[in-house]
Amino acid sequence: MTAKAANIALKPVRKRGFWKTLGSQWQLMIMSVPMFLYVLLFNYAPMWGWVTAFQDYTPKKGLMGSKWVGLDNFKWLFSRADFIESIRNTLAMSIINLVFGTVSAVVLAVLLNEVRNKAFKRTVQTVTYLPHFLSMVIVVGMAQNIFSSTGTINEILMGIGLTKEPIFFLGEEKRFWWLVGVINVWKEVGWGTIIYISAMTSIDPCLYEAASIDGAGRFQRILHVTLPGIKSTFVILLIMNIGHLMEAGFEIQYLMGNSLVESYSQTIDVFVMKYGISKQKYSYATAAGMFKSVVAIVLLLSANFIAKKLDEDTLI
Amino acid sequence: MKKFLATMLALAMIIAMLPAALADEALEPITVTVFRGDPGEQPTDDNKIYKMIEEEFGIKFEFEFLAGDLDETLGLKIANEDYPDLFDGGNSAELIENADALIDMLPYITEEGTPNLYKHIYTDNRVAQLLDEDGHLHIIPNYGINYNGQIQNAPSGPQFFLQKQVVAYNNYVVPKTLNEYFDLIERFLADNPTNADGNAYTGFAILCEDWRHFCLINPVQHLMGRPNDGEVIIDVNSGNWETTTFINQPYAKDYYKKLNEEFQKGLINKDTFVMNFDQYIAALSSGTILGMFDQAWDFGTATDALNAAKMYENNFVGMPLVYDESYGYGVIEEHYVNGTVMNKDRGFGISVNCQYPERMINLFENLLSDRWQKILQWGIEGEDYYVDENGRMLMTEEQYNQRSDANWKKANQALAIWESAPKKQGVQDDGNAWAPGDQAEMYFGFMNEYDIDFYAKLGVKVPGDLFDKTLELAPYGEAWEIDTTPIAVDKQDFEDIQDKRLPEMIMADPAEFDALWDAFVEEINPCAKVFSDFMQEEVLKLVELALGE
Amino acid sequence: MTTAAFNNAKRSRRRDIVFPICNTIFLIILMIITLYPVVNTVAISFNDGTDALRGGITVWPRVFSTKAYVDILSDSLTYSAFWISVSKTVIITLLNLFLTSMISFALSRKEYVLRGFITTILVLTMYVNAGLIPNYLLITQTLHLQKSYWVYIIPSCFSCFNMIVIRTYICGLPEALVESARIDGAGDIRAFFQIILPLCVPVLATVALFVAVGSWNSWFDTYLYNGSKKNLYTLQYLLKMKLATTQASANAAKASTDALANTTQTTPITIRCAITVVSAAPILVVYPFLQRYFVTGMALGSVKG
Repeated sequence: MTAKAANIALKPVRKRGFWKTLGSQWQLMIMSVPMFLYVLLFNYAPMWGWVTAFQDYTPKKGLMGSKWVGLDNFKWLFSRADFIESIRNTLAMSIINLVFGTVSAVVLAVLLNEVRNKAFKRTVQTVTYLPHFLSMVIVVGMAQNIFSSTGTINEILMGIGLTKEPIFFLGEEKRFWWLVGVINVWKEVGWGTIIYISAMTSIDPCLYEAASIDGAGRFQRILHVTLPGIKSTFVILLIMNIGHLMEAGFEIQYLMGNSLVESYSQTIDVFVMKYGISKQKYSYATAAGMFKSVVAIVLLLSANFIAKKLDEDTLI
Repeated sequence: MKKFLATMLALAMIIAMLPAALADEALEPITVTVFRGDPGEQPTDDNKIYKMIEEEFGIKFEFEFLAGDLDETLGLKIANEDYPDLFDGGNSAELIENADALIDMLPYITEEGTPNLYKHIYTDNRVAQLLDEDGHLHIIPNYGINYNGQIQNAPSGPQFFLQKQVVAYNNYVVPKTLNEYFDLIERFLADNPTNADGNAYTGFAILCEDWRHFCLINPVQHLMGRPNDGEVIIDVNSGNWETTTFINQPYAKDYYKKLNEEFQKGLINKDTFVMNFDQYIAALSSGTILGMFDQAWDFGTATDALNAAKMYENNFVGMPLVYDESYGYGVIEEHYVNGTVMNKDRGFGISVNCQYPERMINLFENLLSDRWQKILQWGIEGEDYYVDENGRMLMTEEQYNQRSDANWKKANQALAIWESAPKKQGVQDDGNAWAPGDQAEMYFGFMNEYDIDFYAKLGVKVPGDLFDKTLELAPYGEAWEIDTTPIAVDKQDFEDIQDKRLPEMIMADPAEFDALWDAFVEEINPCAKVFSDFMQEEVLKLVELALGE
Repeated sequence: MTTAAFNNAKRSRRRDIVFPICNTIFLIILMIITLYPVVNTVAISFNDGTDALRGGITVWPRVFSTKAYVDILSDSLTYSAFWISVSKTVIITLLNLFLTSMISFALSRKEYVLRGFITTILVLTMYVNAGLIPNYLLITQTLHLQKSYWVYIIPSCFSCFNMIVIRTYICGLPEALVESARIDGAGDIRAFFQIILPLCVPVLATVALFVAVGSWNSWFDTYLYNGSKKNLYTLQYLLKMKLATTQASANAAKASTDALANTTQTTPITIRCAITVVSAAPILVVYPFLQRYFVTGMALGSVKG
């Protein structure tokens, strides 16, 4: 009743003009405008750097002195077969990561939510998130040992007779994407769970009680209470991550890749490091970065639009 | 006339003020900012050598070391024109030189004013190679200038390696050709498929991770009797310094065909092509790899690990291999060891932002004196080393070993300055070695029994005696030093194709090898041409500078 | 009817036993899989460095040694760097929580007319990056923050990702709570501090963890802006530097003709593992305290009760 009354009380505000409404919302402005200006300074002011994508930029000559080359940098990028490959690899690996990563994190969060013993629950949570703190160098080093011809995985596969010859995991192109997916899940599943566990805290415990009284089993409770409870977090994260599809990482591919699998391991970021930064072709790096940003924004807005159409929570 | 008078007046005033200014300046304590293009750690506040420098020259240092990507870091400094006083650009010094960040040191170096520096760069007309196209001297090399000859007990560069036990198995006869080498490994493996613990031996390992792919690429030039010129062979006898990439030549095919055969025989393992550096070191340290091509400095940690585990017979001995006559290239003389290369463009430059260029030059001049060189390289007499009755400089084993302790170094050595400053190498006028590790007494004194016996049976005094050391450095230096930034993208393609195709070929069915090779040559030729044309031009430029033609 | 009901009850009771058992077994296996690399890292860090190079260490050191830790902890800069890291992490975390949650609340208000505009501008920051050079020049030439402690704090006050996380959480709270505050005549600012903020504890704990870990692990800002000021070094930077130096000296004894003096006792693998342990330890110590706050059902239950 009170809520409805409040809604009615608020309604007239909207009918006033934009500026008047804004004036009445000065408290919200105090809370949001300073950070808005902060972001303009720290994130948008440096955007002048993007013009160097249309230059043959050198730090010495600077923005004013460098030669203008129009779209040459972009033309160069798209003339490179390995750049096109790197776009494909980036998308493939980030989609695999997104699907594996999200599914595993949600499943683990739900399973943890079902654990009654608090000490056990905390232990599992703590242990599974530990690998997040290992550096990629260490994780990749271990993975390379485990997946080598004489490593644990091949020993197991040969032991149970799934394969006669050891599988050359690290040197075969088609396996690389999946290997990266597996390692990422292994390293990040616990960390990824945190946000869903935190979202589950906002679920009203009464809902579980009500569901039990209605005779819902465990799976029905998960299906009808737990999952709907984290749905908005899930959807928002999904939209955000769809925007991040152009980021498949750098370190893991850089460390795990080798010349045999390079056409499947090189991501855009690795490409940029190789040709842009290490070769002082800053303009290539900026052009690639700009391309990535534009694609990311298009992906993000599309995902947001679809979510809106489906009447789900939206990011923007 | 007025102008002339004014100039004279100004000059007179300057001359009158000069002595006073110089005297004042020498006393005034200053803090000098230093950037090093290599990773490093801050010395302790009470570091004894820096304290001495501060007392004597009134100079304190504020160091900044590399931790991220070098080119990126230098790019930021250039964009911001934020240069330290002493600027070492590491492997990418050409970036800061091209950005005019460094002063020309040449006018400051005179025979009377700075005799040490003068001798350092003018002897043998070294200066010709150090100047840029405008005749400026930006950087004095940090390494590679020897006094009284060069000491090389054990070559640190490229070699084919074998475990010592394999050579012992061959009755202490060291293989001289590629065929003898692989033949020996095959025979050894047939008799000893596993070590005492039952772990299988691997005949030959090839590291091809990132920039260390030289283990895969470089052997060809050495098998043809040339020293390390990176990825080209230069015909020094042709008169026009003909520069060619070797990887697409028939004599390279011979090597990879041989590797393909050995792969079929099981001497080479698939995993070798996906190994990272840590795994490679682990494999070498475990004593199960019988042989490889590498540079000695690259796997020093594995050598240490094997010695520490007392697995002396699993440690490595290097040897210079060539193609035998059956390959049809005649009798090839080995030239693995080159004359010393000046580390051109590596070391300190003085930046244009530096307020005290004279004092920096003065510092380098003084640090190059015999007294300071002893302090910097050996330490303090009585504390870090002693001198015996014959005047030989020596260290106890304890004194010697503490030199590799990171925390000791931070308090007792001025590494951050010493590593980039001009220095003396080779032999002191009194016969002592400049570098403690080169001092003969210490080289043999700390050698283990197995090695002493092993080298005695080989009939050599030091490992270096297995190599011909008479080759003089060619006038262009060593071609791997040439900066390839202008053709960076083609160079990258050139390397990518090699790194991908060569392992594929080695692992291929022998019946397909020839076809794969032809496809490889066709694929690589365009960028190989760009690369070799560029290198040809650069080599000619260097030769012209050196010979003054 | 009764039989069916009985059977149903029996089946569900059996399911009630089967599921927790399977779940527990699965989680234990998962723990072993994720724990292995961690234990392995710790084992290597306590192994003798030269011996560790040979590989093959699994869950227990082969030749026990604490040398790597001694090397790290006996550095005279370690303690000052540790305090710089702790203090900046605490300040950034508090500042970030305060500022981010405030704007999250403002942007969760559906009636706020600037909501869409500001949200869009903020969200896009996650996807656009101007590149390193312009950012560097902003900090050094425009703001002159280099060579100061402030360069750690000022550029790190806000993160859009965390804003979204908190906003999503606030949107999930019952609307009635805020509205009731307004009826009481409280303004937005008071409603936020008195009603919303206390309810947000679980999500704030989560975000605090994200911010603290990010801040604790960062070393690049120290490198870019304070590389020459050793009294402003952070722990991560110091460790990063130590690692880089160890690797460089292990790899590049080439520069020296000093053949014997190359690299004895330089042990990148052990140092790397010890550094990982040292740098992660403080966060792991803090974690259980934060974890307390994200136990299911706590937040709302306590408020309503």
